[in-house]
Amino acid sequence: MTMIWLGLFSGIAFGFVVQRVGATDAHKMARSHLMLDADIPRFMLLAVALSAVGLFGLQSAGVGRVLPLPTSIVATGLAAVIFGIGWGLTGYCPGTTWAAAGEGRMDAVFALLGGLAGAALFAHLHETLVPLFYDPTNVGQITLTDLFGNQAIAVTMLVVVFGLCIWGIGTLWKNS
Amino acid sequence: MPRRQRQPPPPPPAVEERLFKKAVQPLNPEATAAPKAATSHAEDESPMERTNKQHSPYWHWIPAAFALSGIIVFIFATYGPPASSSGFVSTLKGLLAWAAPDYVAAKAHYKAIPGPGSWLFAFALGMAIGGFIAGRTSKDIPVRDMPPIWKRRFGDSRAKRYGATFLGGFLILFGSRLAGGCTLGLFISGSTQLAISGLYFGVIIFAVAMLTARLLFGKVVQQEESQ
Repeated sequence: MTMIWLGLFSGIAFGFVVQRVGATDAHKMARSHLMLDADIPRFMLLAVALSAVGLFGLQSAGVGRVLPLPTSIVATGLAAVIFGIGWGLTGYCPGTTWAAAGEGRMDAVFALLGGLAGAALFAHLHETLVPLFYDPTNVGQITLTDLFGNQAIAVTMLVVVFGLCIWGIGTLWKNS
Repeated sequence: MPRRQRQPPPPPPAVEERLFKKAVQPLNPEATAAPKAATSHAEDESPMERTNKQHSPYWHWIPAAFALSGIIVFIFATYGPPASSSGFVSTLKGLLAWAAPDYVAAKAHYKAIPGPGSWLFAFALGMAIGGFIAGRTSKDIPVRDMPPIWKRRFGDSRAKRYGATFLGGFLILFGSRLAGGCTLGLFISGSTQLAISGLYFGVIIFAVAMLTARLLFGKVVQQEESQ
């Protein structure tokens, strides 16, 4: 029961913040993708960089639970292409769909329904698609720590690269 | 509830309009006067933007990112990696457990994701509640049924927009379930955990979404730039 309350509380806080920053606005999202509005991409990247530092702190203190998803070269890449088309088309991603539907955006309600249909179809085809696309090129739960050999260096590298991306977006996007 | 106190009750219109009155009001002038919409849009991009920053209805991205990362770290400490596309599967599992319990029990994807009595579903529901509260308590952020940029490119047809978002929603969830996560569950959660999967997924979704948006709305952008 505690987990349900924690989930509900976390969701409410998360939904509130993403609405306030404009991530539930498909117009702002489209302008982000068109390189006209730099706020949302910089917001996302900075949030990840800060969270990575925070999580490193948690892990150093022995708190929290991590579960990095495996990388499947074909499935993760193919899924990302399908996802990117949908994201560019709607301006919503699964999380913002919930928040935008709650906010009262009708197009997000339809995105939510479409999402349920898409998830249902994948769940139906899971037994066929996973062995076909996911498993053959699954290279396991690899992380930057495996690459750099040390978690502190890996976190630092992530923060530096994300910082450069944030700077790059601020330079290349028009309205920043 | 608070909205009802704030706004005088309108004569009962269509359900949609009653629920989303706030959305309809700021939208209409923009929708009917296309040139005006173009002007206000052009203003967004003018160099004056910097001085107009304090009028932006949105939170600044830096404090907002601090707030969000605080929430993300809280979630890692109290639950584990946050995810939102799994909430769709939880919802389906709950619905299908009623309609077709044998089917749900037999399918690997439903076995892997917990049903509605879980953190994952509570989080998705919380997102909707958070969006609702944020929408009701903000006077400035426009709640629209259709993005203005879409209207300028594809016209006023709601059927067209809703059909497109249904298809887009279908694609993002199908893709998310194939990869094992979405923007939050794979890119944000994954990259926070330094997972290669999250970074790999993130680079491609940004690139493909940017390309898709350019193919869809590129014409509108060019028109505005030439004005």
